[in-house]
Amino acid sequence: MKRILLTLAAAGALALSAFAQPKELHILSANDMHAKIQNFPQLAAIADSLRAQYPSLLILSAGDNRTGDPLNDIYEIPAYPMVALMNQVGFKATTLGNHEFDSGPAGLTRLINLSTFDYICCNVIPDPSWGMHLRPYEIFDVNGMTVGIVGIVQIGISGHPDSHPDNCKGFTFLPPEETLQQYSWLRDKCDVVILLSHIGYEGDVDLSARVPWIDLIVSGHSHTQLAGGEIHNGVMITQNVNRLQRVTHTTLTVDGGKVTAKKAENIEVQDYPKKNRVVELMTDFFCTNPEFERVVGTIDAPFTSYEELGILMADSFREMGGADVGFCNYGGVRYDYLPAGPFTVSDILKLDPFGNDAVELTITGEELRQMLLSCCAADEDRFPVVSGITCELIKDKKNPSKIKNLVLYGPDGKKLNLKNSYKVVTNTYVASISTSPRKDQGRAMNYQTAQMIQDYVAKQGHLNYAGRKVIKETLK
Amino acid sequence: MKVKVNRRTLEIFEGATARHALLKYFRIRKFDLSLVEKVDVFDVWGHPIDLDAPLTEGQTIKYKAL
Repeated sequence: MKRILLTLAAAGALALSAFAQPKELHILSANDMHAKIQNFPQLAAIADSLRAQYPSLLILSAGDNRTGDPLNDIYEIPAYPMVALMNQVGFKATTLGNHEFDSGPAGLTRLINLSTFDYICCNVIPDPSWGMHLRPYEIFDVNGMTVGIVGIVQIGISGHPDSHPDNCKGFTFLPPEETLQQYSWLRDKCDVVILLSHIGYEGDVDLSARVPWIDLIVSGHSHTQLAGGEIHNGVMITQNVNRLQRVTHTTLTVDGGKVTAKKAENIEVQDYPKKNRVVELMTDFFCTNPEFERVVGTIDAPFTSYEELGILMADSFREMGGADVGFCNYGGVRYDYLPAGPFTVSDILKLDPFGNDAVELTITGEELRQMLLSCCAADEDRFPVVSGITCELIKDKKNPSKIKNLVLYGPDGKKLNLKNSYKVVTNTYVASISTSPRKDQGRAMNYQTAQMIQDYVAKQGHLNYAGRKVIKETLK
Repeated sequence: MKVKVNRRTLEIFEGATARHALLKYFRIRKFDLSLVEKVDVFDVWGHPIDLDAPLTEGQTIKYKAL
């Protein structure tokens, strides 16, 4: 009997010591993947390799999974390839980045429904009518550890995340930090608390001073390359630059219900020597996007010059941007001929391949005049293509490459009133290289110019720009 | 919004990225604009950032030619 009691006591002690053994939580985290689907075979191989050593590996994203490659972003279900690949790799949770809103509440609801991982973000409340499965936080049981995850997304000066305002309708946005602090009770419930943050590195460093209840911030938005993990105010922060160049493997040691040690290392994705074959096949499939061959409109007469195609682009900016004037740099028009017949998505992406956003400005006629001249000077002296106005370039008879004067005419053919204000839409490149003085530097519309052209062509149905001219040259 | 590139304050559109700020800076300095794609960019703490990094009001970035 004594021997039995001793054996039981020894077994109990062993069980207790086993219970008290520190455990490790292994996290593989990504941020700002921006639709880099081509790196998923390597990412999957990294996840496989870590999972072989740590079966309870937790794979997380700090948002902006999408937007950055038309292969993903204009898929039949926009951004579905990323969701399918993240499902396959075994992501457990993501927060919302500002670009998760890029196909509006309907598109986001659909993507969430197709995802096998959770969307966690506490400062976004979707209208109940969407039935969106967005959670403010989630508690996971990972290898016997309770892991609380909460998420936040940045709110821009316009009161919503940096996506097109129309995409942000149907949500209520709350201040990130104040809302986050309402979940500090997670500390009492969980062994580990992780914040998936899409407010940027600077914001996260600032925040760390006031969130001692968080163990780890998986940070995103600012595309900041950290050397593994940085500790600020006792909180570890991880982040990498965009498009899946690197991911971070973080190890948290948990002892007695709290984190006692933290370490993190980055893993190069692009050059990782192994690929997951299944994910590679999926990626190959998604890289042949049939959406590219979709016919958007019909060209009734062939486009035969850069100017005609440029006018189409500028018309798209003006019309879809609800502006008085649209213009694009001459060098932004990438080909000068397009035959009559179908106008496809692929034609548009080749015409405007840079992924530029539209920028809206409210400027005077004189500021517009100076901006056009500045753009011309920065674009190898090629004058930009305009819509909503026409331009007369008065050139020097002795030196025809020199513009002596620029006169703008309104749609009525009369000289434009240079003192009046006009709403102007152009692209981000032009807004950057045009350095002429103006009071309003403009705002990115979070509306890609290629998408504007696609929407404009679809709206028009048939196009005939044969012989259209908006620039007249006079020698004096 | 105002941002700083190598200690020079620039005014640029809201929603600009590091690439846009560098384009403007290079244009003002009359540098070859194509070189923007060939520089290393850093935040105020010296962390590398990529050219698509979104900027916020008052942010400082620095670049080094490769």
